[in-house]
Amino acid sequence: MKNPMRAKGKKSVGSPIKLRIAHVTPTYFSPGSVVGGGERYVFNLAQALQAAGAMEQCVLALGPEDALFEQGGVPIRVMRNESKWSGATDAYSSKMRVELEGFDIIHIHQCLTTFGAYTTAILRDLDIPLIGTDLGGGENTLMMKGGGLRLLSGMLSISKFARDLVAPYFGGPHQVLIGPVDSEYFSPNNIKREKDHVICVGRILPHKGLDTVVSALPSSLRLTIAGRIYDEDYYKLLTKMAIGKSVTFVTDAGDADLLQLYRTATVLVQASTSIDIYGRFVAKSELMGLAALEALSCGLPVILARTGSLPELVPEGTCGRVFSTIEELRDLLKDVDGGKWPPIGASEAARTAVLDRHSTDVIGRQLLEFYDIVSRGGLSS
Amino acid sequence: LKILVLTNLYPPTVLGGYEIACHNVANAMRQRGHDVEVLTTWSHLPDPRPEPWAHRDLDAHWYLPYTSSDGRLAESEFHKAVCSSYRNTLMVLNYLRSILPDIVYVWNTTGIGTAAILDLLNMVGVPWVLHLMDRTPVDVVANVEAGILGLFGASGSSLYRSAGVISMSEHLLTEIEELGGITFPGATIIPGGADTSNIAAHENYLRGGKARFVASAVSAEKGTDLIIEAAVKLKLTGADFLIDIFGPGELPRYIDIVRNRGLEGQVRFLGPVAQRYLLEQYPSYDVFLFPTWDREPFGFAPIEAAACGTPPIMSRNCGASERLVDLVHCIKIDRTVGDLLDAMQSVCSAQIDLSAMGRRAKRLVLADLSFNAMLDRIEATLTQRIAPWSGPMDVNDSSLSLLAYLKHNLSIMLRFG
Repeated sequence: MKNPMRAKGKKSVGSPIKLRIAHVTPTYFSPGSVVGGGERYVFNLAQALQAAGAMEQCVLALGPEDALFEQGGVPIRVMRNESKWSGATDAYSSKMRVELEGFDIIHIHQCLTTFGAYTTAILRDLDIPLIGTDLGGGENTLMMKGGGLRLLSGMLSISKFARDLVAPYFGGPHQVLIGPVDSEYFSPNNIKREKDHVICVGRILPHKGLDTVVSALPSSLRLTIAGRIYDEDYYKLLTKMAIGKSVTFVTDAGDADLLQLYRTATVLVQASTSIDIYGRFVAKSELMGLAALEALSCGLPVILARTGSLPELVPEGTCGRVFSTIEELRDLLKDVDGGKWPPIGASEAARTAVLDRHSTDVIGRQLLEFYDIVSRGGLSS
Repeated sequence: LKILVLTNLYPPTVLGGYEIACHNVANAMRQRGHDVEVLTTWSHLPDPRPEPWAHRDLDAHWYLPYTSSDGRLAESEFHKAVCSSYRNTLMVLNYLRSILPDIVYVWNTTGIGTAAILDLLNMVGVPWVLHLMDRTPVDVVANVEAGILGLFGASGSSLYRSAGVISMSEHLLTEIEELGGITFPGATIIPGGADTSNIAAHENYLRGGKARFVASAVSAEKGTDLIIEAAVKLKLTGADFLIDIFGPGELPRYIDIVRNRGLEGQVRFLGPVAQRYLLEQYPSYDVFLFPTWDREPFGFAPIEAAACGTPPIMSRNCGASERLVDLVHCIKIDRTVGDLLDAMQSVCSAQIDLSAMGRRAKRLVLADLSFNAMLDRIEATLTQRIAPWSGPMDVNDSSLSLLAYLKHNLSIMLRFG
């Protein structure tokens, strides 16, 4: 019987690759599930593969009840979560195995979680290559120190930083692909940029280091912080710190609002930290930095903390700078204030960097090649 | 055939007929020239005749070890018993690799980590046959939650999808289906067989007008209480009878009951004896009493008695009842004192031609229910299942132990947090 999950994707002309790909993920990108970076990543990845010509693919996620629908041309099969625990990454379904027989590649997103461990365990003997990706949802001991990752046929990491975190536990084929970012949507236009406007985009959480940006902000620059409040106390702290400075909070920004900010600001600052203002250590502060990628895609130069994967996004200094301390950030913002940075051409360099390395087309094509190699048993450890 | 037998217990450590049958079959298969290795648990009892082919390398997590009254500890141990014991799974893997059997012949696995071990057999694709003499599959599904069962491919009947299944009765299959929702569409019914060698001729029935009854187990489940109650009423009729009950059990309590009910002259408890001794004794009795409980998967004892020409009075619903015809080879009763009393009375009053019934019962067992007949069918079933290993994973795949480790530890995590 034909698997109802399988829907045909856009066939690219002359594409020799006809893999059947299943993405399994504990949650999917929707207000009905979770609207988060990990979920957006899976959605973007599926879109990138569609564009690259993956003939059949589906997303299999978990939820309170069974469902089947389409999202961006990709079938989403939701299976009932059987877990007694409430955490999204603790979800699992014993019936998933039956749904996935017959695929050529199974890509397990959030592979370092209970979900990832369970899914790996029930799918490993299907004789289908399993590819794992850590999206920051956990650090399951069984998958890492317990060796569970070795049961996978390949790993896709969303940054070199993410790769280095799991490299001690996985010696097989390992690809780093930073992205994709929807470069068609997140694109520049001819709106004149506001020279005194600095933005931060991301959830309002202590490890995002927003307090550092507010502290370092010169009085002559305006700062817009766009992100939902996930820590009320921290938000209150930020509002106090912002007194006397030009700081605006936009806590309900949608994609269109973000696009407008990316197109009109003069620089994006991402100050994520591995030790937050309360002294707490955050193990995986930034595995990819999607907001910075979206900004660059819109031609907006970025100033990034030397945290996690962020420095990887700006290998050259033209469209991005990296700082380690608040003093360095203060100096960089003074340069912005004084018109010394970003230089002429930074916007074009930012856009070019994204189109060359992180766009939907590039990532989709490279990922499909990686799937193909792994499915043929290549790139052995 | 190169056969790897898997069993939780093995003589001298036995719980009942399941283990004894396993031992008898394994030895008989060896005598027929098959290469049989038995993998089982340690035995705390001295083994007077250790068999070099019996490898006691598995851990026992049920029946034998002391079970703490701490619910959490007990649950942990039971999880290892019916779901996963990583050490045992690894041990089975090691034996599969070293022996490379033509077939794995699985007996009772409760206590050694059923789900994980059977999952391993499925993964490597070794042909295997499950011999059911008890509702072992129900132990698994009734005590492990669905999500954990899914880890081992054990949802519904799927754990047994590639297995050949032998059941000693339809009754047992029905019970497993009713209680566990597990079906075995292609199961082969092979009833338990009696050792019919060297059986003495039956003595005269109702010698001196006295009816001599015999039973071979002491427990409420096997009907000891019913027998005593029926005896009380039978005595009131003035019948001349004697009931000898063999076997271990709660002897002090039952002896006390017999004394209080004034049955010292009619009911005797003779304690545990060797199976061979019982077979020697049966020809001197008129009728075997087997008012056993509904859960009885089969019941070797009434078949053995029948082989000696001693027809049984037996519960209508037990497994062995499927093989004998009421009033031809036996007297079938509903499991009530009244029904048992009526049957015993009909014996005492010579309304039943015991001699003819005994001859017919003996002929039936010799022809159809002998140990050799059982062995022929088992041998045929095992042979029929032989095929190249065809699992999704090669037995020498180094990731098998890792996968079993992941499944085992996830099962612990999901169950106990």
